[in-house]
Amino acid sequence: MRDTLDKAPEPLGAEDGKLATASKRRKAGRGVIVALQVATFVMLVAIWQALSVQQILDPFFFSRPSDIALRLWEWLTTGFIWEHLATTLIEAFLAFAIGTVIGVGFGLAFARVDLLAAVFDPYIRILNALPRVILAPIFLLWFGLGIASKVALGVTLVFFVVFFNTYQGVREVDLVILNNARMLQATDHQLLRHVYLPSAMAWIFSSLHTSIGFALVGAVVGEYLGSARGIGYVVAQSEGVFDTTGVFAGLLLTSAVVLCVDLGIERLERYLLRWRPRA
Amino acid sequence: MRAIPAVAFEGVTIRFRAPSGEVHTVARDISFDIAEGTFLAIVGPSGCGKSTLLNAAAGLLFPPAGRVLVFGEALAGINKHATYLFQQDALLPWRSVLDNVMLGPLFRSMPRAAAMEEARRWIERVGLKGFEDRFPHQLSGGMRKRVAVAQSWIVNPRILLMDEPFGALDVQTRQIMENELLGLWQETRKTVLFVTHDLEEAIALADKVAVLSAGPARLKGVYEVDLPRPRDVAEIRLNPEFNRLYTRIWADLREEVKRSYDARHP
Ligand SMILES: Nc1ncnc2c1ncn2[C@@H]1O[C@H](COP(=O)(O)OP(=O)(O)OP(=O)(O)O)[C@@H](O)[C@H]1O
Ligand SMILES: [Mg+2]
Repeated sequence: MRDTLDKAPEPLGAEDGKLATASKRRKAGRGVIVALQVATFVMLVAIWQALSVQQILDPFFFSRPSDIALRLWEWLTTGFIWEHLATTLIEAFLAFAIGTVIGVGFGLAFARVDLLAAVFDPYIRILNALPRVILAPIFLLWFGLGIASKVALGVTLVFFVVFFNTYQGVREVDLVILNNARMLQATDHQLLRHVYLPSAMAWIFSSLHTSIGFALVGAVVGEYLGSARGIGYVVAQSEGVFDTTGVFAGLLLTSAVVLCVDLGIERLERYLLRWRPRA
Repeated sequence: MRAIPAVAFEGVTIRFRAPSGEVHTVARDISFDIAEGTFLAIVGPSGCGKSTLLNAAAGLLFPPAGRVLVFGEALAGINKHATYLFQQDALLPWRSVLDNVMLGPLFRSMPRAAAMEEARRWIERVGLKGFEDRFPHQLSGGMRKRVAVAQSWIVNPRILLMDEPFGALDVQTRQIMENELLGLWQETRKTVLFVTHDLEEAIALADKVAVLSAGPARLKGVYEVDLPRPRDVAEIRLNPEFNRLYTRIWADLREEVKRSYDARHP
């Protein structure tokens, strides 16, 4: 943000041609990076596979990539996993959505009303310092074994990330831009919509990347500690019978889902923040 | 009976508390009136408090002593009769040129379609037709200033506050913009408070030039500029009266610039 606003006068009318070459170069770099990323993955999996086939890594504790792939295939084709995956995703989505809405709302309110921030500051800190996993059993008691307890756990994780980032983002608003809007006679509501929110958007998005992971953690951990459905439940069941392949397969599936959602958020971010000069 | 001045400073004193805790007086006991329709230029050494004074006229800042009257009423919030062209870039970076220019009318509850039409007219007027959908970072510094001009003139304010609006531009662009400003002003004869540290610019544009002393700013003198209008900023410099004025005001200003320089380079 600061960069964009205070930057030295740029060359009059940056030519499109110049930008095009720069982005082409970046694209070429991206291709290489993706290739290296894939190569790294293949290599790690190959080493893991080799070591476990050679019995250097005990497959009982470490499983085998081939077994994990087979298990995933089985889950997906028999349809066993769909119900669990859907449950986890719904919980994570609800936690993410509710946590984000509350987080943005409180972030805006606290950043705009100094008294609120001053009074509640210590409480927010105390709550944030609380290890959230410890809340899981309490939520189980309060909300039961169903979906609600997992959503609640996820919300406590998501909320703080979004809250702190929104608060910070609003606080960072450029004073000149704010004063300009005020001189044009924006009402408080219009300031919020046209100045504070867009300005905080970069911060809010960076919090979304983190909080997606947290939403899923909330769901899976909640399920792990007590439920009858969901990926966390599957992992717990596998663990109960010392089935490491099942545990790994569950974890892998979870990561894959997070990755997909994160890519979606990134696209949205790129669109909504398209007004920023690309470095 | 005298007409009510558009802006009147009455014994305005402004202080800031420095991070070290000591109190720093930026403007001391400033009093003067600006009649409606006057183009007033304010000159003074860098850092003397010009922007601060303009902020007080805008209602963005409240003097601990004295007050600012706008059309006879003491300011108690944002100055609703004025728009402000800031020294720094102040466009919303996340809005296109069109959306930026539309802000004023929209904030004054003009229907969207009408606001858009009005904004297009103004964008054309400042010579940016075809750039409506660009974001500010995709424009040159001069183009951004044009957008800012359109953004502040579109709401047809009675008072225009301008803080070194063309300070960061190259000489040619600057002259073009100055002439355009004069053209716009000639049509409407709004009250203008134009801050600059360039005395030539001040004389070329203004009806009156106010000289501020080195910080803390006091009003050192106000000079009438009785040069013919309409003017061309390049041609008016050749007028003998221009030179006479320049020499006279510069004698005053030079002292202050030197004082301010000496204070910072002991
Ligand atoms: N918010 C603030 N807090 C503390 N000091 C300030 C603040 N704003 C301005 N000052 C001080 O007040 C003095 C005048 O500042 P101001 O911006 O009005 O100067 P200026 O005449 O506009 O200078 P320039 O020509 O360089 O723009 C400076 O010494 C500056 O450091
Ligand atoms: Mg200034």
